Amino acid sequence: MTLTPDQIIVFVAWGISVNATVVFTWVVMALLTVASMLITHNLRPDVPPSRWRTTLEVIVLGIQGQIHEITRRPARQLLYFSGTLFLFIATSNLLMVVPGFQPPTASLSTTTALALSVLVAVPLFGIGSRGVVGYLKTYLEPSFVMLPFNVISEFSRGISLAIRLYGNIMSGGVIAAILLSVAPFFFPVIMDVLGLLTGLIQAYIFAILATVYISSATAATKPAQPEEETQ
Amino acid sequence: MSIDWITVAAQLANFLVLVWLLKRFLYRPILDGIDAREAEISERMKEAAQTKAKAEAAQSEYHDQLAALHFEQSEMTDEMRHKAEKQRDALLAETHERLEQERADWQAHLEEETRKYTAKLHRAGAGALLALTRKALTDLADESLESRIAHHLCEKIASMKPDLQRAAGDGPEAVIVSHDALSKTAQDEMTAQLGAVFPKASLRFETDADQAPGVIVRIGGAQLSWTVDTYIEGLDALMEEQFAVIPDAKVPSHVH
Repeated sequence: MTLTPDQIIVFVAWGISVNATVVFTWVVMALLTVASMLITHNLRPDVPPSRWRTTLEVIVLGIQGQIHEITRRPARQLLYFSGTLFLFIATSNLLMVVPGFQPPTASLSTTTALALSVLVAVPLFGIGSRGVVGYLKTYLEPSFVMLPFNVISEFSRGISLAIRLYGNIMSGGVIAAILLSVAPFFFPVIMDVLGLLTGLIQAYIFAILATVYISSATAATKPAQPEEETQ
Repeated sequence: MSIDWITVAAQLANFLVLVWLLKRFLYRPILDGIDAREAEISERMKEAAQTKAKAEAAQSEYHDQLAALHFEQSEMTDEMRHKAEKQRDALLAETHERLEQERADWQAHLEEETRKYTAKLHRAGAGALLALTRKALTDLADESLESRIAHHLCEKIASMKPDLQRAAGDGPEAVIVSHDALSKTAQDEMTAQLGAVFPKASLRFETDADQAPGVIVRIGGAQLSWTVDTYIEGLDALMEEQFAVIPDAKVPSHVH
């Protein structure tokens, strides 16, 4: 029993082993991209939107609304980043019910990569909003004594993001596999349903926390941070 | 639990590519489409507002025109009514005038007919009276009417001699006018009588068909006469009395 899809080598090309994490990530990327292309091609403002387009609009506007509730200002770039985080994680987690599909989010490498992207995005957005000096000054607040703690806080937030998502998805898949071997007829279904719910919640938590971190780095005044949900 | 840093790098790259792909094929088309649709809706609402404003302006203009038309129609109606009333009054006045004229003409015609009838009646009455008198005189006294009239006038001349002489003055001529020519006897009697009263005056006998039957003597400024007119007037008075007793008998039926 493999705990991570990193261990599954799908094929080797030019001496590079391509594991299931990367392959299924491509699957998710292709699914999202193709669906978006099919739905959004040839859009016209004078034609009533189709059901699929309306669905996409609901999803995008929902994400934008959630981001706006946190940032309280227009943030198109943040939508691209946080929205992609949510859609990628949610799609990966929802495809977990497809037989043979290994969710990339069950790989610590994927969640680490996502956490690293957040870790990099926070200072980038902060510098873009406040400038380099303005952003670096935030590490000295409320006093320079807090500098090491702020740096540690920054990294711990990334690590917590990565571990939380990985642990939830990996554990859901492991539990489903264990139950499938113990009671193959009933409990795996329930666990899969719960896994879908957990996957959506984790996607939401990851995207919201990333938005909060970026927003706190870019905001002139720090908004009140929502309580982090724990497992 | 281990981290494959190559996979991490690959996933980082994959994620960045996915961000770009979704930005290119999902977020931008969707958000731009929403913005375009909102702009389209806003534009249409603006056009609708402009169209509504135009429609309201046109409606207001039409209301004004309608009110003006109503006012003009009312004025035209009043004017036409006034003209019709004036025309009616003029026609009525003209008709009244024509009726009055016709009535006056009819009245004049009636009076003329009455006058003619009265004159005819006078003539008929005088003729009848004369004929009766003449016949009565002839039957009873074997005398003509003119002789009796001349005799009557001679008696009056004798009785009124001083008054006649004073009124006539020195009249050089006496004219005796009668309806019909007097008989020789009557002329002689009058010549004798007038010669006794007016010895210097010459006598001349004339006839006048328009004169009422009888004899008129004119000398200077004096005139003495006897005609049947006085009798006819008496007959008229008598007939008036009779007509007054009989309603609607005054005007002969044929005059109407």
